[in-house]
Amino acid sequence: MSEIVSLNIWQFALIYLLLIIVLLIMKKCKINQTKLLVAASFRMTAQLALAGLVLTYILKNPHPVFTLAYLLLMTGFAIYVTLSRNKSINKKFKIIVGFSLALTGLSIVCFFIMAVVGVNIFNPQYTIPISGMIIGNAMTGVSLGLRVFNENIKSKQLRIDSLLNIGVTPQKILIPFVNQAVETALLPTLYSMIGMGIISLPGMMTGQILSGTLPATAILYQIAIIIAICAVTCLSVFCSLYFGYKTLYNKRMQMSI
Amino acid sequence: MPSLFSLKNVRFKDIIHYPDMEIPQGAATFICGESGSGKSTLLKLLNGIVSAETGEVLYSGRHIEDYDPVTLRRDVLLCGQSTFLFDKSVQENFIEYYKYRDLHPINQDKINTYLKICAANFRLDALCVTMSGGERQRVFTAICLSLRPKVFLLDEPTSALDDMTANTMMSNIKAFCNENNITLIVVSHNRALAQAYADNTIMLAGGIRHE
Repeated sequence: MSEIVSLNIWQFALIYLLLIIVLLIMKKCKINQTKLLVAASFRMTAQLALAGLVLTYILKNPHPVFTLAYLLLMTGFAIYVTLSRNKSINKKFKIIVGFSLALTGLSIVCFFIMAVVGVNIFNPQYTIPISGMIIGNAMTGVSLGLRVFNENIKSKQLRIDSLLNIGVTPQKILIPFVNQAVETALLPTLYSMIGMGIISLPGMMTGQILSGTLPATAILYQIAIIIAICAVTCLSVFCSLYFGYKTLYNKRMQMSI
Repeated sequence: MPSLFSLKNVRFKDIIHYPDMEIPQGAATFICGESGSGKSTLLKLLNGIVSAETGEVLYSGRHIEDYDPVTLRRDVLLCGQSTFLFDKSVQENFIEYYKYRDLHPINQDKINTYLKICAANFRLDALCVTMSGGERQRVFTAICLSLRPKVFLLDEPTSALDDMTANTMMSNIKAFCNENNITLIVVSHNRALAQAYADNTIMLAGGIRHE
């Protein structure tokens, strides 16, 4: 297999032209998010460039401290992003979400790297990209799950009040909302699994094949990572909400939403 | 009549200062007053949906905070002003609410009895989503009453009803509560209703407000 073609920087710049199409469509549909598009594109470019530099350095000078620091930074950022998308939840709930995201994400990463791949957890070549995928997906899942949960309990305030007034326990009232949010957060992953390999060659596999890995190996990695993503999404959303919903009522079973 | 609830020096969120009051057992007490005087909040204090910051609320001589809150709400049941019904039939709504309360659903005859008390003579398979606000309110009231609380708290039960329906429902509910020794506490701004059905009336003034 041949080595991947390095991108010429000027040819590479052509890809940004595609953003003009997005811009035109946004204008046409009166989507007032031009600033967001520019900011998102810019941040994406800058953040990835920075990550590239840092990764180059870490891969050349591997040290457990670097890998660990990268992992922690990534986890911290994932927690920050999730919470900044769900500002309205109470402080205890936020702490629970933070712990759930960190603990479930890191345990799945450890299981994947140490048990399934079978390399040292501090090996940056494996741990950094794989934990990025796992923790990133946990973040998306928890953000979505929390948003759905919050929107639902706010729009169903009347149902909640009515049930509480007649002596239904807050647990019994809120659990259906938890279940529904876990389901909603899990569905995108499940749907993408259904089309995988036929309508899409997922990112990790694409990357590995481009860089010359045998498709058979790439496929095994891909299957493993998708299952890990499915598990981490399910687990992180479940823990966040299942422990988090209990912060919505006090000892007197009075609710504050 | 022995007193069932008694309030002493009760303040809520520094906004509402309730006068000391006694609410008798087995009677129909109406709570009247302007909007903002804390009528609905008073009902919520009585079944522990909210707690008073200061002062004490006694139920059967014991501090309300000493009761298990969920058991208390089953005994002192609040049928709120805004009603929630599932997008299902009348009978299925009874079933849903009973499921939430961990109770076996009652049979159709009994459902019809409670609907009749609340002047809600609808077919059991009628869909609640197509009903008017007043109709939904009566179905909801029937469900609440059928749960057979010891104290039935009603918040503006007739706000969406015409006078005739309101009178039918109130007189039926009062008769039912009398027969079954259920204490009835009703918040209403409808003075005529209070005059007709109250054994006891509590007037809440504007409350003492702190600016």
